[in-house]
Amino acid sequence: MSSKVSRRQFLSYTLMGVGGFMVSATLMPMVRFAVDPVLQPKGEGDFIPTPQKVDELSETPVRVDFTIKDRKDAWYKSDVSNTAWVYKEGDTIIALSPVCKHLGCTVNWEGDEKHKNEFFCPCHNGRYEKNGKNIPGTPPLGPLDEFMVEVVDGYVHLGKTVPNTLV
Amino acid sequence: MNWTGKDMDTYLLQREYIDTLVIPLVKVETKMDNMKTSASSTEFVMHLASLIETQFKGRMMFAPPFAYTSGTDQQHMAQTTLREFSATSFKHVFFLTTDHTWTAMELPGQVIWMPSIPLENMDASLRQSILEDQLRQALPKFTEEWAKQ
Repeated sequence: MSSKVSRRQFLSYTLMGVGGFMVSATLMPMVRFAVDPVLQPKGEGDFIPTPQKVDELSETPVRVDFTIKDRKDAWYKSDVSNTAWVYKEGDTIIALSPVCKHLGCTVNWEGDEKHKNEFFCPCHNGRYEKNGKNIPGTPPLGPLDEFMVEVVDGYVHLGKTVPNTLV
Repeated sequence: MNWTGKDMDTYLLQREYIDTLVIPLVKVETKMDNMKTSASSTEFVMHLASLIETQFKGRMMFAPPFAYTSGTDQQHMAQTTLREFSATSFKHVFFLTTDHTWTAMELPGQVIWMPSIPLENMDASLRQSILEDQLRQALPKFTEEWAKQ
């Protein structure tokens, strides 16, 4: 065991050690910045529970009200009540946003006696089919948005709105 | 639409569709006995206004509430301040209030009078359903006026 370390070896080890430390000191923060978005906690739990049981859903859209608690808008915290039209198509649950794609009024299922089986917007007589497709010739320019749906313990939970995927 | 810069931009682009102006009228009383009632009915009017606003966002513009006190000569207010609204670019003008006095006055638009309901002790869902009931009662007045044109 020639455990004698030569001066040259000692110097090169020390330099490598110190150099490595310095390089990592600059690299580590960069790596941390790069992965930071992934590590962020997701605020306001993605899916919000609603009082709607899955068993009670049918093929007719029903109105489901739910509340987003403590939503933060800058420094202002508030509870926001929200609504969705929810129905079953086979086994999939579909939740449509009631916000009219024309100017943002609230649409109703069969809101007009003359047009059964359609969503109706009372502001300018906009109409949508059951899957949210806007009926040409009425003011809306696009289909109703959809909510992301998740089922937890037999209850419908709703997430963000996404552009309609059914049309 | 609310009286905000952003909504106003939308209005200026979509004037043919947003043809209704709603003006809440609220009475602010500072006498000890009436203060609570006044606060409660203002709360009711503003909640109702915000519910109607979400339902009919694309057709109604909501002005900021007009406040007055018990010393205000309402007749005079109707003939001066509120008279301005007879010459707006809106086809329909409504005044939303819980104060019965306005129903007897000549205003440049329809007065929608609602009996005030104290909402302060209700939980959110009950409040929502009460307000929706009230909206359902006010609705025919709006649709009637819209159907006229």
